[in-house]
Amino acid sequence: MSPASHAPMFVREMGLPLRFSLYVLLCLFLLALDARYAALSGLRAGLNAVLHPVQTALAQPWHWLRGAGGFFVTHAEVSAENVELRQREERLRADLLDRRALADENAQLRALLALPPRPGVIAVVGEIQAALPDPFARKVVINRGEAHGLAAGWPVVDATGLVGQVTRVFPWTAEVTLLTDRGQAAPVQNQRNGLRIIVSGQGSDSLLEVRFLDAHADLKVGDLLYTSGIDGVYPAGIPVAEVVHTEQPRHSPFARALCRPLGGVGQYRHVLVLKPEPVAATVPPPQPSPRKSPESRHAPR
Amino acid sequence: MPRAEPGTSKPLLPQGAELVAPPTPARVYASLAVALAATLLPWADGMLWLVPDFTLMALLYWSIRAPRLAGLGVAFLLGLVTDVAGGVLMGLNALAYCAATFVILMLRRRLEGFDVPRQALQLAPLLLGKEALVLLAGLMLGLPQADWRWLAAGLVAAVLWLPLAWLMDRLTGYTRVAGQGEAGPRVRV
Repeated sequence: MSPASHAPMFVREMGLPLRFSLYVLLCLFLLALDARYAALSGLRAGLNAVLHPVQTALAQPWHWLRGAGGFFVTHAEVSAENVELRQREERLRADLLDRRALADENAQLRALLALPPRPGVIAVVGEIQAALPDPFARKVVINRGEAHGLAAGWPVVDATGLVGQVTRVFPWTAEVTLLTDRGQAAPVQNQRNGLRIIVSGQGSDSLLEVRFLDAHADLKVGDLLYTSGIDGVYPAGIPVAEVVHTEQPRHSPFARALCRPLGGVGQYRHVLVLKPEPVAATVPPPQPSPRKSPESRHAPR
Repeated sequence: MPRAEPGTSKPLLPQGAELVAPPTPARVYASLAVALAATLLPWADGMLWLVPDFTLMALLYWSIRAPRLAGLGVAFLLGLVTDVAGGVLMGLNALAYCAATFVILMLRRRLEGFDVPRQALQLAPLLLGKEALVLLAGLMLGLPQADWRWLAAGLVAAVLWLPLAWLMDRLTGYTRVAGQGEAGPRVRV
């Protein structure tokens, strides 16, 4: 029997309440450090790097099961899917030609107007590994991290629209906070009339919210909302949501609208992380003289 | 081998199963690791709020049976690991685990004597209270909202205590004498 498994004859240690209060103090200290000063990211990344192989190993049987499920599809299904994908690829290729022409034209027009070039993005494909058991936020973990060049703050999209934003980066994984999380917001523009508003999550999986909407704002059910790109986080033109309900103000000076997210938030396995393209290296900086004056005017605010 | 008959007072020296299969560090830490692995499994997104905290259950089980091996220090470390795995604030689960273990260590003498169903009843408020403590502490630290459905995980844990504690008893060769703890002979109801 190990010597530690029974009580010692003479007690020479701190009493239980004292030890408990010391641990509580330590926990509160850690909580304050993490919540107020975000000072524990190194410790968190280290522990996460230790946990990552364990979690990958634990998830492996599920991967195999899914692989085994995919193995037993019929030849007819595969060939039907193949035909469909070929057709889709041809259509996309045609669209791409069109898009290239438009991009060239846009670049020329922007050069003509002395506007800075549109910021480009590079997509990094990631696979959603798991949803995080966090009762306070809607988060998922993807299998791309610092090793793949990710950084916190980058937008995450899927084939249909905006999904969320990278909020923490670990060596091999990253944490993505979904758009439906209550703390998330995205600046959007109404496709119909260019109205600029902010869409926020409200904690529900299927609904987003426009919280402080002008009572006379022109927003109707069925309007499509795209990112406006003015926050510098989300590039312009990503589909975000469709308005499903508008509410006239009754008890508050503001109207409210509910929207359905267009991105498959919490549905797909694969997502794209949009990495901002380094524009400064390839394109000369914009003319300083016309842009200097408005910036200096806004600077003191 | 002499055995304590039901109805007689407990002998001074450990006898029977307790002597044959004492809680060894290997057993305690291996079962804690298995419990932690169970919480780290990729549970489906829609049922995360129902997944009980297996780590806490194993921790409480061993805090009752082997308080010298699984105490506040182990609770604190496991809590930190759970915090990192869950992506929540560092120290949130550690605080809840330490509080639950503290309560268990205070009530240990009473809990030891109960059979599994009565233990589950006694532990239900504690398992539920841990979830409530995590949610309340998070709200007090300024997180925007808490999902109160997660309280259900505490109830699931209390229900699952019945099969899991029985299984652990079986696996570690521990026999409970119903209604008889260290306090003395069984009280006939």
